[in-house]
Amino acid sequence: MADLKSLPAGLKDFSLAGKTAVILGAEHPVGRVAAVTLAEAGANILLASQDIGAEAALKETAKAVEAAGAKSVVQIQRAAIRADLAATADRAVKDLGGLEILVLALDTPFYAPVEATDDSAYDRVMDDNFKSVWMALQEFGRVMLNRGGGAIVNIGNVMADRGVPNASLYCAAKGAVRNLVRALALEWARRNLRINLLECGWTEEPGSPALEPGEFGERLIKYLPYRRLLKPEEIAGALLYLASPASSFVTGDAVAVDGGLLCRV
Amino acid sequence: MILDRFKLDGKVAIITGGGRGLGRAMAVRFANCGADIVAASRTLDQLNETKAMVEAAGRKCLIVPTDVGRSSDVNAMVAATIKEFGRVDVMVNNAGIGEDSFGKTIDQISDDEWRRGIDVNLSSQFFCARAVIPHMLKAGRGKIINVASGYGLRGGKHNYMYACSKGAVLQLTRSLALTYAENNIQTNCIVPGIFPHNEAMMKFFKGGKFIPIGRPGNDEDVGPLAVFLAADASNHINGELIIIDGGGLAGGVVPTGVAPGNPA
Repeated sequence: MADLKSLPAGLKDFSLAGKTAVILGAEHPVGRVAAVTLAEAGANILLASQDIGAEAALKETAKAVEAAGAKSVVQIQRAAIRADLAATADRAVKDLGGLEILVLALDTPFYAPVEATDDSAYDRVMDDNFKSVWMALQEFGRVMLNRGGGAIVNIGNVMADRGVPNASLYCAAKGAVRNLVRALALEWARRNLRINLLECGWTEEPGSPALEPGEFGERLIKYLPYRRLLKPEEIAGALLYLASPASSFVTGDAVAVDGGLLCRV
Repeated sequence: MILDRFKLDGKVAIITGGGRGLGRAMAVRFANCGADIVAASRTLDQLNETKAMVEAAGRKCLIVPTDVGRSSDVNAMVAATIKEFGRVDVMVNNAGIGEDSFGKTIDQISDDEWRRGIDVNLSSQFFCARAVIPHMLKAGRGKIINVASGYGLRGGKHNYMYACSKGAVLQLTRSLALTYAENNIQTNCIVPGIFPHNEAMMKFFKGGKFIPIGRPGNDEDVGPLAVFLAADASNHINGELIIIDGGGLAGGVVPTGVAPGNPA
């Protein structure tokens, strides 16, 4: 684990020593960054997958956590299955002794014109981007409230706040999470359970339409204030701020890590 | 290691309104993270107290009596900073006035009171940005942190100058952010909710009992957020408003203090 004893006095609120954090969607690049970040700040880590079949990617995340000097417990699960979520929350408490921090890195991008989106796509996109988040907040929220509260960080993206063509369903799911965060922040405010959203800008990650050759990617880069995509590791600071007692008076907010894109659109 | 990216070692931060309240809390917190401080305000006694606190944390503190509503004072403040430290890494635009005018009816507000408020709350942030940006451009990096208010995002009864000036601060933040994004100067905005600084304000806000989290803000709550926005940990955050208000702007029926559907 990181050496937290030499931390300057002004940074003591950023330490997570003695806390347990669960990362759902730890096979994704931003989930991996979240795991390493929270481990570096001293938390015990449980890595859980968004979907089955993620063993190799989760193992890679576990290795990255180990390289940061910490150990982690790995749980293969499906975030779209309520019983899986409940079992993961129980395991955190049983095996790691706590559950003070929850990071949701659940994301399944979907790009298609509205008229080409059928009902089965609707069910899948809403299940993976909204219903999974909803059920995770129910199952983990219950455990965290019973244990005296904590902090939840939902990792989404700027589509929670703006529209993008050919992404209407995905935008709707992301925006639904944005307002869910507001309402739950109010519902849980007096029970010591905080919840905030971290909105990534356009990110350098596999499958992003920004990385596909063609006009969209080229024009997008020119439009971004930093003229480059966000690297997953650049969310680490905002994640630690929102997950730690440093943000104890912040709840129901969204923090965009987008280089200023939302100022422009 | 992520915590290293929150450290402010070797940085110099100017904090306006640094003699009390949020400004002093940020100054002390910055010092505890390794920064040297330039504290500016109109009241020398208060600045001297801040200086003692920063020095107790082991850092240097230059105090510059300044009327931030006058650009000549602001230019002199930045010149004094460069003379003393040779650099300015962080500009915190925190000075503000006008909470004591809440509740004054529109006919009770003089031209001078309106203009003075706009000068101190809004023009000062423009003057300070204008004065530090050449130094930040030369250094190839910089952080500007503007302090607005929840009243920059919502209206208030009998609340004119304060709401207008704070709302404009959000727009100043966005335009500075877009303009200097490629120069590695990040401009962001802290949006505090209710932080009462005296008994009268505590009474005006009913002790903060309608704030979702159940208490008003303490000055110390803002320290870690300011550190985050001053540090390398926030380098990809730009033009962002971070609301620190115990959930107030998350919305809805909260000011009523009750929720629909709760058992009676």
